[in-house]
This record gives sequence, structure tokens and C-alpha cells, in this order.
Amino acid sequence: MLLTALGTEHAAIWVYGLVSAFLPASTATGLAAASLAHRERRDAVVALLARDGIAAPPAAAAYRPPSPVTDAASAAGLAAVAEDDVAAAWRAVAERTEAATGGELRRLALGAVTAAATVSVTWRDLAGRTPLVAPFPGDGSET
Amino acid sequence: MLRGAGALAGLLTGVTAAGTLAGCARPEGPDPLEEPLAAARDDAVTAAAAAAAYPELAGRLTPLSRARRAHADALAAEIRRARPDRTATVDAAAGATPAPARPAASAAAAVTALRRSLGTARDGAGALALTVEPSRCGLLTSVAASCAGHVTVLG
Repeated sequence: MLLTALGTEHAAIWVYGLVSAFLPASTATGLAAASLAHRERRDAVVALLARDGIAAPPAAAAYRPPSPVTDAASAAGLAAVAEDDVAAAWRAVAERTEAATGGELRRLALGAVTAAATVSVTWRDLAGRTPLVAPFPGDGSET
Repeated sequence: MLRGAGALAGLLTGVTAAGTLAGCARPEGPDPLEEPLAAARDDAVTAAAAAAAYPELAGRLTPLSRARRAHADALAAEIRRARPDRTATVDAAAGATPAPARPAASAAAAVTALRRSLGTARDGAGALALTVEPSRCGLLTSVAASCAGHVTVLG
């Protein structure tokens, strides 16, 4: 479950590397901040796993986008999908983590789902997706 | 004697079992989700009223109103599930005609007020998410994230 979340962070970092060339310059600052947030969360998970003696699996060399990225709309659409995946994986962590023992994980999950919902507003808008904000980010009902 | 004792033992077992079930499910006082529920209902009504008063805001406020209504429905359903003793209170609050949301003086004022309210809801749901049982943590995490997204939309 935490490894799934880590996998979605790896994928999101890769996606931002791919889509940055297709997105308008006006989104560059937001994109850089989003990408940095995924790197920081990835590092936090790797550190948590190391504390438990678990070696974190590395990122895949490449990922297969569900549809080709050819312009700003398709690039933003892929970024939105990556954020949906992050939100779903972290919500799953949140609903399986006890408050007494998992405070750090719950805070990471809250930050991850919140950041995904926030940054997705820009990507969904560019991709022509509605609504701009899912009613329950990460619950699996968004398409 | 033996039969009597057996019956009594059975009765005691029954009482104990019922006591155990009720023991977890009947804490005193309001359910902690009643606060985010009230906030979600207020936002839903306020956003719908502002969208009606200022049609230029409808594109942003109608989805917001719908999302907050969905939050309210989900929170109320969870309270009914976990705290049947609070169902009447929660449903009565829903049935009560909401105080007519005083129309904001301008579209900008309506947006500012809603942005503030959503920021408070985001922080409240997020803080509560860290303390509750896991299934509720998932719901509150999503509610907080959705509120944060709508704060961004209201920019």
C-alpha cells in the first residue's frame, strides 16, 4: 500500500518530466512546485521504509501513458491522471493507517491528496476536464 | 437451579454482548463529524445562493455547491452508520429550512467569504482526519483536499 503510493510518486515525477515541454510557460512555476512536492514525498517514503529496514524499489525507467502526449491538452490530461493516481494511492494509505501509530503517514497522505486536488485544477482546466475538483479526491470515483 | 443458572448465564451473556456492541458505538455527546457536516451544508447553501444572485459566478460556484452537498451527504451517512443515536439530530438539522443566506454585497464579497469558509473547512477536516478511526480518516482527507481544490478555483 505504501509501496503503491511510492510507485505513483515515481510515476508522477516521470510524467512531469515528459509533459513540461508541452505545457504553456504560464504553468512552469506550478509545474516545478508540483514536481518538487512529489520528489520530497518520495524521499519521505523512502526514509520511512529505510527506518523499517525495507529497501525502496526504484522508479521504472519509463512509463506508458494511457494516450499519446502531443499538445498542451494531452500533456495536462496526463498530469491530471498522474495526480489522480497519487490521490487514490494516498487515500488508501489514509484509510488503513491507525491514528496512534501512523500520524506521520496520515500527515503525508493528507498533504498528498490535498496537493493533488489543488494542482489538478490547472491540469483539468487545460485538459478540458470537469469538474475541476473531484468531490472526493482519491476515492476512485473520478474518471 | 441448574436450568435457572443456565438461563441467567445466557441472559448475562446476552446483556454483555449487547453491552459490548453498544459500548463502542455509544460515546456521549455529538459525533465529531457533525461540525464538518454543518460546515458543508452551510457552504452548499451559501454557494448556491451566491450563484443565483451573481450568474457570472455560477460556473465556479455551482460545482462547489454540489461538492459541498456531496460532502454533507457522505458525512451524514457516516454519522448515521456509527451513531444511530445522533440520526434524529442530524436529520432534523438537514430538514430545517436553512437560514436564508444573506446575499453578499457583491460578487467579489461572495467569493471572498466562500474562500474563507472553505479554507476553514479544509483545515478543520484535515485536523480531524489525523485523530479519527481509519475509515473516517479517508473520508475527511478527501473532504479537506476537495475544499483545498475549491479554494484554488476561487483563487
